[in-house]
Amino acid sequence: MSWSLFRGEAPVNDDLAIILTAALLGTSCGLLGPFLVLRRQVLLSDAVAHAVLPGIVLVYLLFGSRAPLPVILGAGLFAVICVIGIERIRATGLVKADAAIGLVFPTLFALGVIGVTTFAPGVHLDLDSTIYGDIAFTPFRTWNVFGIEMARSLPLLAVVAAGNLAMLILLWKELKASTFDPVFSKVNGISPELISRIVLVAVAVTAVTAFESVGAILVVTMLIVPAATAYLLTVRLLPLIVVSVLVSWISAFGGYSSAVALDASIAGAMGLVATICFSLALLLSPRYGAIARVFTRRKGRLRVTPPGLPVAPGAAGVSGGEDVAG
Amino acid sequence: MDRLIELIPLSYTDSVVLVGAVILGTAAGVLGAFAVLRQRSLVGDALSHAALPGVCIAFIATGAKDATTLALGAAVVGLIAAGLILAIERTGRIRPDAAIGVVLTGFFSLGIVMLTFLGNFNNSSQAGLDTYLFGQAAGLLVSDLTVMGLLCVVSLGLVAFAFRPLKTALFDLSFAGSVGLPVRLLEFAMTALLVVAIVIGVRTVGAILMVAMLIVPTVTARQVTNRLSTLLPVAGITGAVVGTAGSLISTGAGVPTGPVIVLVGFVVVMSAILFAPGRGVAWKARRVAAERRRALNEGVLIDLETAVHSGAPPTAGQLALLSGRPAALVKRALRDLDRAGALRRDGERIFLSESGAAAVHSLLDRRDLWSAWLEYGWQIEVPDAREPDPRDLRGSLGEELTDELVALSRRGSGE
Repeated sequence: MSWSLFRGEAPVNDDLAIILTAALLGTSCGLLGPFLVLRRQVLLSDAVAHAVLPGIVLVYLLFGSRAPLPVILGAGLFAVICVIGIERIRATGLVKADAAIGLVFPTLFALGVIGVTTFAPGVHLDLDSTIYGDIAFTPFRTWNVFGIEMARSLPLLAVVAAGNLAMLILLWKELKASTFDPVFSKVNGISPELISRIVLVAVAVTAVTAFESVGAILVVTMLIVPAATAYLLTVRLLPLIVVSVLVSWISAFGGYSSAVALDASIAGAMGLVATICFSLALLLSPRYGAIARVFTRRKGRLRVTPPGLPVAPGAAGVSGGEDVAG
Repeated sequence: MDRLIELIPLSYTDSVVLVGAVILGTAAGVLGAFAVLRQRSLVGDALSHAALPGVCIAFIATGAKDATTLALGAAVVGLIAAGLILAIERTGRIRPDAAIGVVLTGFFSLGIVMLTFLGNFNNSSQAGLDTYLFGQAAGLLVSDLTVMGLLCVVSLGLVAFAFRPLKTALFDLSFAGSVGLPVRLLEFAMTALLVVAIVIGVRTVGAILMVAMLIVPTVTARQVTNRLSTLLPVAGITGAVVGTAGSLISTGAGVPTGPVIVLVGFVVVMSAILFAPGRGVAWKARRVAAERRRALNEGVLIDLETAVHSGAPPTAGQLALLSGRPAALVKRALRDLDRAGALRRDGERIFLSESGAAAVHSLLDRRDLWSAWLEYGWQIEVPDAREPDPRDLRGSLGEELTDELVALSRRGSGE
């Protein structure tokens, strides 16, 4: 698709811009993803990805521009509408959280599709690259920052990554408490609702900023898959976040090099590499992996003595067998 | 199918779209219930995204672009995705939402990569594949309708045939396992039904909007019934109505069908959530307001009794001052009491009518009884463990126990 645009004569600088963009994106998303996984709100990221479409269309219709800042503001508005709408519907107690998500985002997306087809029929509905942005285009959209010409996705995403990191450092204790034990955190004067809202706003800001430069599907992937992978490999929160960021970096580098080698979509290849990481973790994780589970299950089966059999020496402490033997 | 199309008093294309929307609505309504009620609503989202690589594979394998071949590809890959979601969940560590998210992004990434490959081979050949994602109701053919209709009838027949085992597995998986039902098969069947619904609908409304079509009917139906055997038909009818209304509006206004159907669905579901009898948000708000008003009226009545006992009958203003309630509220309560005939007026001054006095006395009796329950209730043996209703203690305890309670409290206060 777009990669062929600069195949061959691409200067090294362009590769670097794409890889750096992806790494910054991975950092921003890798920091937040674990909280989505832990709070069971993973699919909010997908919802936000679709729900911002009417915002982007509205900005385009009003100002006729796809300049980053208005687009980010318009998209951000609808991201917030989406998150609040889901929360409101869920709070009625009549609809479960997952169904609330599934009611709100297709509706907003439908508004966006109607907007595109009615008012801008010339725009082909190839939403992922035309409207949402595509990571392959990052080297061509440049900004002049302090006299240096650079891909504009770099400063944008750097700010987002720094913001997320700052949030984590400043609210570390609060995030930890409200994520793992909302009641405890409430008792100690930390409102879990407020923290939850802050996390959701951070996700919305990250997602919206990143959509504009790298495309929706890549953002959603980076928010979900590295965190889920890390969740299979770690037990404590800090390692979870570190591994999540690492996996997103691996996906970024691995995805870019395989996309170049295979001449395929960069976002798709990064997503596939992330998914491969997840699959490996799912199979091989020493603690939670499928293979490890088979072994622990077998060990468990051997350890429990069937009632009625004499207890083997050294197997003391296994109840059941002893009662019968006595 | 042709004869059915001719019966509809619309242009040929519009009739085809209408029939397609009705089939889609019915199927999505009934089959979606099996995902929504298990809190797996967004499995449909993942499966819809998995349709993209499915379509690409079907195209690569056969080179054909007709709807049936592509739908078959989408269905096969959708089933694989469904199986993977279940498998990932079963390893234990990953919870359903993350499993859905990973499968969704994984398959969609695969689809994008395949699309670029197709683009590299031959630029023109991939055109049309991505309309699959966004739907194109106008492109429906009568032959598509026949396939959709058949799939719909077969899957609904399956649901009717296996209704009891499906219901058991839906609400209590462990119980279903303990009575020997094939739990894994049933779990997979429920997800597979979702794949069928998506294959039926994805051509008309597109993959992303399909998610809403699976959820809207069930959530709507759930607001009006508590029984699965009622919910399924109501959901099917809701889906069909939404499809009909959406396609009629869209052909009238000249906008794409899929999004309009989804918007209509959202309006329907929100009205159900707001106004469902006995359950809806507006309904509950009205009940709370009525309850508050009743409590206020009772309070003002007792305040009035106290005031009348301690001196001259008060004016409305004095009463508000005495009771410490906002004057506007007191005035409203007095209006209500007046209407109920509990008050008599002497110019500005207010006192109780005969029926008002009787009402106050029964009210005070009830309060005393409740205080007695709080103080001495632990001494009497209540046959069931439920908290009694404070508004009708005599009714919920029964005459005998109430008399016992009254005796206890007399003895208590006599000492």
